[in-house]
Amino acid sequence: MTNAVVVESLHKAYGTVRAVNGVTFTVEHGEIFALLGRNGAGKTTTMEILEGFRTRDGGRAEVLGLDPGDPATKRRLSERIGLVLQDIAVEPYLTVRETIARDAGYYSAPRDIDEVIGLVDLVGHEKKKVRTLSGGQKRRLDLALGIIGDPDLLFLDEPTTGFDPNARRGAWRLVRNLRDAGMAILLTTHYMEEAQALADRVAVIAAGRIVAEGTPDALGGRNTAQTRIRFELPPACAVTDLPVAAVPGDDGLVTVESAEPTEMLHQLTGWALGRGAVLARLTVDRPSLEDIYLHLTGDDRSAPERTLERSAP
Amino acid sequence: MTVAVPGAGHRAPRRGVGLFWHQIRYEQLTFWRNPQSAFFTFVFPVLVISIFGGLFGDVKDSSFYYGGDALQYYVSTIIAMSVLGSCYSQLAIVLATRRQNGILKRVRATPLPASVYFVGLLAHCVLVSFVDVLLIIVVGRFYGLSLPASSQWLPIVVSLALGATAYCALGAAVASVIKNADAAPAVVQFVLFPLVIISGTMVPIHGAIGTISSVLPVKPLNDALLTAFTGSGSGFRWHDYGTLLVWGAVSAVVAIRRFRWDPRPE
Repeated sequence: MTNAVVVESLHKAYGTVRAVNGVTFTVEHGEIFALLGRNGAGKTTTMEILEGFRTRDGGRAEVLGLDPGDPATKRRLSERIGLVLQDIAVEPYLTVRETIARDAGYYSAPRDIDEVIGLVDLVGHEKKKVRTLSGGQKRRLDLALGIIGDPDLLFLDEPTTGFDPNARRGAWRLVRNLRDAGMAILLTTHYMEEAQALADRVAVIAAGRIVAEGTPDALGGRNTAQTRIRFELPPACAVTDLPVAAVPGDDGLVTVESAEPTEMLHQLTGWALGRGAVLARLTVDRPSLEDIYLHLTGDDRSAPERTLERSAP
Repeated sequence: MTVAVPGAGHRAPRRGVGLFWHQIRYEQLTFWRNPQSAFFTFVFPVLVISIFGGLFGDVKDSSFYYGGDALQYYVSTIIAMSVLGSCYSQLAIVLATRRQNGILKRVRATPLPASVYFVGLLAHCVLVSFVDVLLIIVVGRFYGLSLPASSQWLPIVVSLALGATAYCALGAAVASVIKNADAAPAVVQFVLFPLVIISGTMVPIHGAIGTISSVLPVKPLNDALLTAFTGSGSGFRWHDYGTLLVWGAVSAVVAIRRFRWDPRPE
């Protein structure tokens, strides 16, 4: 079976600005694929080329086996894709149910209207005019319009921007359920937690290029990066007194990096207990997705201690 | 509800009368739900004809009113103005606003064909015009308007149909060249107001200005309707129909070539 989305060395320039500069990735059926990047990195332009809103200057783009730039197959393709754009665009005076019913009528095989209202958690609001809804409710209505046509592929452009944490978790649950039911989902986000919590695979995009791709856990060598153990030096101790090699930092903490954290911790805590000392503010962690992201997008100057070069084996 | 297996099952797009009807129905719902738009669309022409009827309702046949009485004159021109408002102004503002807030882009992403979307809008403009025309004639009757002879109804319908077509095309063309929807009402009125004045909608215009305005889009409909309402001549004003058709055709070309769905085009 073909992939849901195939993009190969995609190019798009606005004047002299190369918004998309050789982007390549694929989205498989039934997976959530996230394009992670800062504003202006090229996420939305890539998305809009795939949605058929923009033409491409070069490269290959295939959506459900069709060329999104081909007007001859536009209607056939729009039957099978759904999208949620960045801006909320709904008529203010129709009710929730009318808005969904109107769009349902555009598709040859739409989902059941009440089922969709339930999916996006707008039960009880069906008869409310759209203008009286909160921002989050309007966004969920937008999502309802994205899935009413029962698409095989859903585009979500920054779907949870402006959501409170609860609403965001609810939206993530819904997106996962859609994926589990077989839908392929391509989303853009600039939230690290969103990519981490939601995506099966992530591509980090910066200055129009994919700079890393992988599962959220393995992105940028995160899974093989060394574990960091950080703690406060016990009183009257020097770094050289420690049983392991450690680096002091500006914040009064010392950092130990290790590929064998279990053994290393055992040594450290054994040493401390033997001296009757306490390792205050002890933490054990690995580079977060955010560290990786900041490094990949060249914005990690504010966190010099956390560069990948140091933690890489 | 079964989950579609990707790529399985060919879905034939919806076509035909049902889809047209669906779109017209929701376009109507969108309009009638908005109390302001529904109110002002109908109140303004009724108000104007009421005032003019009260002021000039007694003025009998005169050469100032091209041989008809004042009421026949104003019923004709206010009908033309209401068609202008329902088709040109309304369509230009609705399209510019919907583009700006992304509704057009959203529609573009559904399988709804652009033609069906526009038929829904045009049907709406025509329906509103029709209601306006009825209201104006009813108010005119109240002031003692004598209805045209039955032979004149066909030219009236032809004039209205051509006027509505030309003005819808003009509205779509203006919407296509307006960049910013916030400016749309101002731009629309800026074009409309002088045009209405020099076309004799408020006061009959004789002489050179009338000659100029007779090749602009408003006066031809005024004159075509007036001829039919006063029943002078055959009732058909072929050169006015021609002028409206040319304006409609040119506007349609501009609209089709320049129309954008996306608020931020490439």
